[in-house]
Formats: sequence, C-alpha cells, structure tokens
Amino acid sequence: MSAISVPTTSALRSSELIPSSHPAVVKILNRLSRPSLLSLALDWLDERNQDNTAPYLAEEGNEDEDEQDLYPPALSLAELREIYTDIQARKGSKRDVLDRILEGDWRDGITLYQLAMADMQYLYDHPSSQKWTALKIVRLASEGEQPSKSKSIPRFHPATFLRNLQKEGLPDVKAHYNLDRHPTLPLLLLRIFIVESPYNTSLALSSKQATTFDASKTFYVAFPDDSPFIYVSLNTATGQPVSRSDNKSLRRLTLEGIPKAFSRPRERYKLESTSLSSRNLDALVELRGGGRTNAAGGGWSVYAEEKKNGGDNPLEIQPPTPESDIDELQEDMPKGLKRRRKDDDRVVKRRKMVAKGRFGNTALPDDGKGIERLDIRVDDLFPSRNAEAVEDDYPLADELDLGVTKKKQSGRRSTITFELDKHDDDEDSGEEWRPDIRLTFIGHHVFSGIRQLVEAGVVDGEKMPGWMTGEEGVSVGVVRDGRIRGSKGSGM
Amino acid sequence: MDSTYDSIPIDDVSLQLDAEISTLQSQISALKTQRSIQTSAILTSRSTRATLARLRSSQKPKYQPTSTLPNDTDPLLTTTKTHLQHKQENLYRACGTVTTFRIRDPDPYAVDGGNVLGIRIDVSSNGKFIRPYYVMLNKPFAGSELLRVHRHTVPPCIPLAALAENYLPTGKGATGISSGNGSGKKAPGAKTQDIRKFVRALRKEVVGYHNRISVIKGLRREFRLDEKENNKGKGREKVISDISAADAEARQVRIEWVDGRIGRFTVDEGGSVVKAVVMGEQGRDGEVERVLVGGMGGVGERLRQVIY
Repeated sequence: MSAISVPTTSALRSSELIPSSHPAVVKILNRLSRPSLLSLALDWLDERNQDNTAPYLAEEGNEDEDEQDLYPPALSLAELREIYTDIQARKGSKRDVLDRILEGDWRDGITLYQLAMADMQYLYDHPSSQKWTALKIVRLASEGEQPSKSKSIPRFHPATFLRNLQKEGLPDVKAHYNLDRHPTLPLLLLRIFIVESPYNTSLALSSKQATTFDASKTFYVAFPDDSPFIYVSLNTATGQPVSRSDNKSLRRLTLEGIPKAFSRPRERYKLESTSLSSRNLDALVELRGGGRTNAAGGGWSVYAEEKKNGGDNPLEIQPPTPESDIDELQEDMPKGLKRRRKDDDRVVKRRKMVAKGRFGNTALPDDGKGIERLDIRVDDLFPSRNAEAVEDDYPLADELDLGVTKKKQSGRRSTITFELDKHDDDEDSGEEWRPDIRLTFIGHHVFSGIRQLVEAGVVDGEKMPGWMTGEEGVSVGVVRDGRIRGSKGSGM
Repeated sequence: MDSTYDSIPIDDVSLQLDAEISTLQSQISALKTQRSIQTSAILTSRSTRATLARLRSSQKPKYQPTSTLPNDTDPLLTTTKTHLQHKQENLYRACGTVTTFRIRDPDPYAVDGGNVLGIRIDVSSNGKFIRPYYVMLNKPFAGSELLRVHRHTVPPCIPLAALAENYLPTGKGATGISSGNGSGKKAPGAKTQDIRKFVRALRKEVVGYHNRISVIKGLRREFRLDEKENNKGKGREKVISDISAADAEARQVRIEWVDGRIGRFTVDEGGSVVKAVVMGEQGRDGEVERVLVGGMGGVGERLRQVIY
C-alpha cells in the first residue's frame, strides 16, 4: 500500500487486491460452476497473466511451514498447475475448490482483474444472465443544423475510448475496466466495475462496507464489430433496496459517458434507442450487428443468408428450382370438412410452406437467436360500421416529431410502457376511438413460437401481420394499420 | 437375436460399408449436378432450339389447330424457355451487375398492395461472385411516386442511409423520380428522387469496399502474414508483422513492422492512398510515408521496393 492516497480521476489498477474474505469476492466466485472455477484457476496460473493474477507461492529458503496450514503453498507455478489439473480430473465438490482458491493459493487476496475474469466467465456460462439493450450511436447535430446521416461508423479504439470514458467518470467514484473478446460472437465486451471511493489505491477496496462496492455495481457494454450499435446491460441484480437509486444514477452516468467517449472534435455522437432489447446476444448481433441481416428479418432473410455451394450466383447455370408452389397447393385445398382428414398431410405441408414464406429460415426453434419478450401496442381504430370510410391519411412516422413525448404524472412506469407511450401524439386523439391494447409475448424464443403456431394452424400464416414474423427487428413497438410505426425498414 | 450379436464383432466391416455408401452418395450427387449442367447446356444451345422448333412445326399439321392435346416437344420447349431466360438474366447480372426484380411483400398489411422493387447488386471479389447485395424499395406514400428503402441486406459499413437521404429524399417538398424532362419547373429547394444516381452511388460504395478489402487481403498474402512460420530459411525474412483494416469501412489501414514502426494510411473513395503516417522510435519515417501515397493497388509493390 502506498503511503499516501490521493484522490485522482484515473481508473483502478487491475492488480489491486481485494481481501479473499470479502463477501463480494466470495459471492462472485461462488456463482461459478466447478469446471468453470477450475479452468479459471488454470488461466490465472498462466505465465502471461502473472502480473495480475499471481498466486501465493512458498518463498525459497523459507522452510518453516505452518503445520496447521490446510493448503501448504506450492513452490512453483508448474506445481500448482499440476495440482489444479489433478483436481480437474478428480471428482469433488465446488466448495473444496473455492476454499482452496480463497484460503490457499490466493490467500493474499483476489485482484480486480481476477474478479473481472470470474464475472466474464459467469457471463459466458450463463449467456442470458444479462438483459441487453441495443443502442445506436448517431451523429449529434449542433443547433440549427439539419441532422444528417453520418457516412461512417464511429471508429472504436479501445484504449482511447477507455481513457475518454474515465474522464467522464465522477471524481468520487472509481471504476475498474476490463475488456474481453467474446469467444464466439464478433463482440468486444467491456465490464465496468464501480467502486464508490475517491481513491484508486487499495484503500478503496479494504473497506468492508457493502455500499462501497458490491456486485450490483457492475455494468457491461458490448461493442459489436463494424457496427454503429452498442449493447448495454441493464442491471438485473435485485436486492439492496438502499443502493438501487444509486445504481441507477451510476448507470445513467456511465451511459452518458459512452457517446462522449466516442466523440472527437468536430464529431459528436449521442445514443439513440433502437427499440430492441433481449437477453440473447446472438439475436442482437443478428439484428443490430455488422452483417447483412440487420434490415432483412423474417421472410426477407432469404436474401441475406449465405447459401451453400454458392447459390444465387450469376454464374450458376441451373435455374433456381422453387421447392413447391404455394398457389399450386392452394388449388387443392380441401373445401369441406369431410375431406380434411384425407388431405391432412397436404394441409400440414401447405402450412409449413406458408410459414417458410413468412419467416424464411429465421425463427427456428433451435437457432439460438430468440428474443424472449415482445411488447406491442396496437393503435388501430376501433372497427365501426362505417369502417370503410376511414381515411388513410395519418402522417407517416418520419414526419412526426418523435422527440415530443407526452409527460404523464402517473408514478413509476416501466421503461417499456414509456417506450410504447413515446409514440403518442395529440393530433389524432380526438378523431376516433383507438382502444389502448397492449400485447406482450413472453417465451424463450417468441418468434419461433409464433412460427410453430402458424405451422400448427392456430395462426393463419397468410393473414398474419408482418410484425409477428419479427422482420422489423424490434422488441417494443406500436402497431398501426398492421405495421410497426416509425419503422422504416429497420437498420435505416 | 443371433444377428444382433453378430453385428458387434464385424464393426469395422460396417464402417467400411458406411464409407463406401457415403462415397457413392457423393458420387451420385456429383453426377446429378453434372447431368443438370449438361441438360441446361444442351437445352440452351442454338442447334437444339432449332431442332425443337422444326419438330414442332412438322408435328403441328397432324393435329387439329384447336386440339388441346399436348405436343411431344412442348415440355421441352418450355424448359428451354426458362433456361434461356435464366441464362439471359445471368448475363445481365454478370455484366451489368445491377439488376431489378419484383417482389411481393408477404405481409398482408404491406403498403402499396405489397409491391416491392428489388435491386440486386452483384459484386465479384477475387475472381468470384460473392453473395449479391439486395435493396428493396417500396412506395409507402399514398398517391405519390416517392420510393423508400424498405428492407436491405447491405452491411452497416456501407452508408446506405446517407445515400438514401441524398438521392431518395422523402421529406417535405420531395418529388418523384426524375423523368428526364428537364428541370425547368423544379422549385428551388425541392429535392428530387433519383434512383439511378442512388444505385450508382451505392454500387460504387459496395465495389470500393470490396476492392479495399481485397487489396488488404492481397497485402497480407504478399507479406505472408497468414501463413504459419514453418518454412523458415526459405524466402525473405518477415519485415511487416501485421496489416489490417483499422475501421469498419476499411478506409484506414494499419501496418505494423517487425521493428516496432507503426503506420497508418487512409484511402479515399477512388481507391488511392491520400494520407500516410509512419511512426518509428526515431519519429516519423518520411520515406515510407511518401512511398505509401498513391494508388492503393500498388502499395504492396512500392513497400516491397523500400524494404528489400
């Protein structure tokens, strides 16, 4: 520990130690499974990580070993590696491994870097443990200037970004930043661990007060490659009612800092909502990533996906063979109920074809790209007897000022309600009665469920509106006249 | 019961059989594709068409003109027709690279009766056609010819939104596609949609992007960055340790030398290097910087001249 601790704005160092007995350390490590814990320990024993994750080793020449020591210190890294590989091969309880780590080999303390690695490991083990919200980074137009679409994606340079983000942090709050590459997805994950202390030395971490630092003050930001979007994790940790409002403001501050950290002189950015949040990072990468699938969801995905053996190539001699024509099947549709049983498999086949036409190759139950919640507000006119006379002259969404939101003083409201109400505008509140209908679809893969309903014949695949196929790529939306409002071909 | 017991010891025989079956199956599929290629080639050849037409005309008088009986050659002729159409489409796609087609939006609530215009941009890269880019346009405004991008498969590193804003404005005062009758009555400040310019600009961006990517790939190959270092002693020693795109659009390229120098150059829309910075331990390396500036395609050659 240094002699004097001076408040600064710099970040906490990765090698800063936290006492092993600290409840937060135990809590974070305890969440991991035994195999994850062991592979983590082996990572910590890797030569390259020794600056930040060095274990407690017996000093040479110091032979007076404590006989009471349950975990006698090892002499070298290689020996320790062997021990942990042995444990990996053996069966045993997680408790043993945890005790060995905390009371034996890392008895001096766990570094912030180790804690970050443990948290990341948990995130990879439980991909749906965080709820992510996709945000778009857009150019900030100065006053009076017409906001124009930026021609380029803001460049993300990790080191510069982190330095700028640190500048945006409050002086009495310290954070530890850890960047990690996602093992399978084209993502860079940033873990921000906030410690409420003005010091960036071990003084900040020695305090055992729960409010100073706990696991709930961890935020994640994911940066997909080659994409103008970022994903931020909403804090899902419950409990600690005292610090919840604190966490909210910390989160807000962090969020506000992100576009500023992206900004450069003469190039300022802000974050914009994209009406999509999900626990599934795969789905987010698909819909808000750097690939082709951003604005071609649902049935349109057939144009975006890579085909085997280079189909859809101008050098392909074979004319494409349509698998089967829906119209052809339609002619043979059974008219009466009597024949239904006989033609049952034909009906099923037809439904499958319709589902394929509407969903393409998306929304398959095992594609792992499901969003788990879809909130829709239906904003259609109540069908009256003279429904035909209704004029179709509502203003298009891009002519509406979406920035003007009606402020209702009705206590606490969820973000989803807020998002749905955002599209409210006063001008057509007087004309006709539009009942306030809200639909929420919940499941581990909402659109796959709808697809299965289509295939089962519960939902009519041909009359089903487009938003039910997920082609808009949103998880929150207002539907009017069967279309999601304000959606201009997602991704635009 | 006996047969099940028997099957266990001769496992390797069954494995052998499996392997044989799979090779035969792959052979079948290969032969099938070959057959289809041959069919298509025969059907679309001029002499076949001439023969078929002759056959048809010779057969015709035998039947009554009102007869609905199918002719022998009819199915052949229709397949010939589809094959020919496909061939022509391919020709346009390969040479014109921008083609259009019509799509029906499957959404029953789609605007404009579900009419969608599809634009297909075929790009070739490294001697191969890659998956084409699609842009789907619709007319969402009742009683107006204004087009708007509905769906697309263009990745975000190509500024589609900015191009659409430029060439397909949909805001107030925007008018439909310029019909080429001059701009005499054009009101000042009014914006005109021009799909031709839009597509041309979009294609330019797409092709430029792929050219930049392929140049970077070529550079990596030239300086053997993707190879495993197994053939030591052979060839020249490695001088450059990394070349990669520094941003999503591949407009900026980063070069790292083995001796610690770091360079970066920016490429403009026309594909030429406009700015280059090379930093070493002793400050900037002016010589290499000067060499880098120029056409992007020749960067590798010019670098080579400086290095060796």
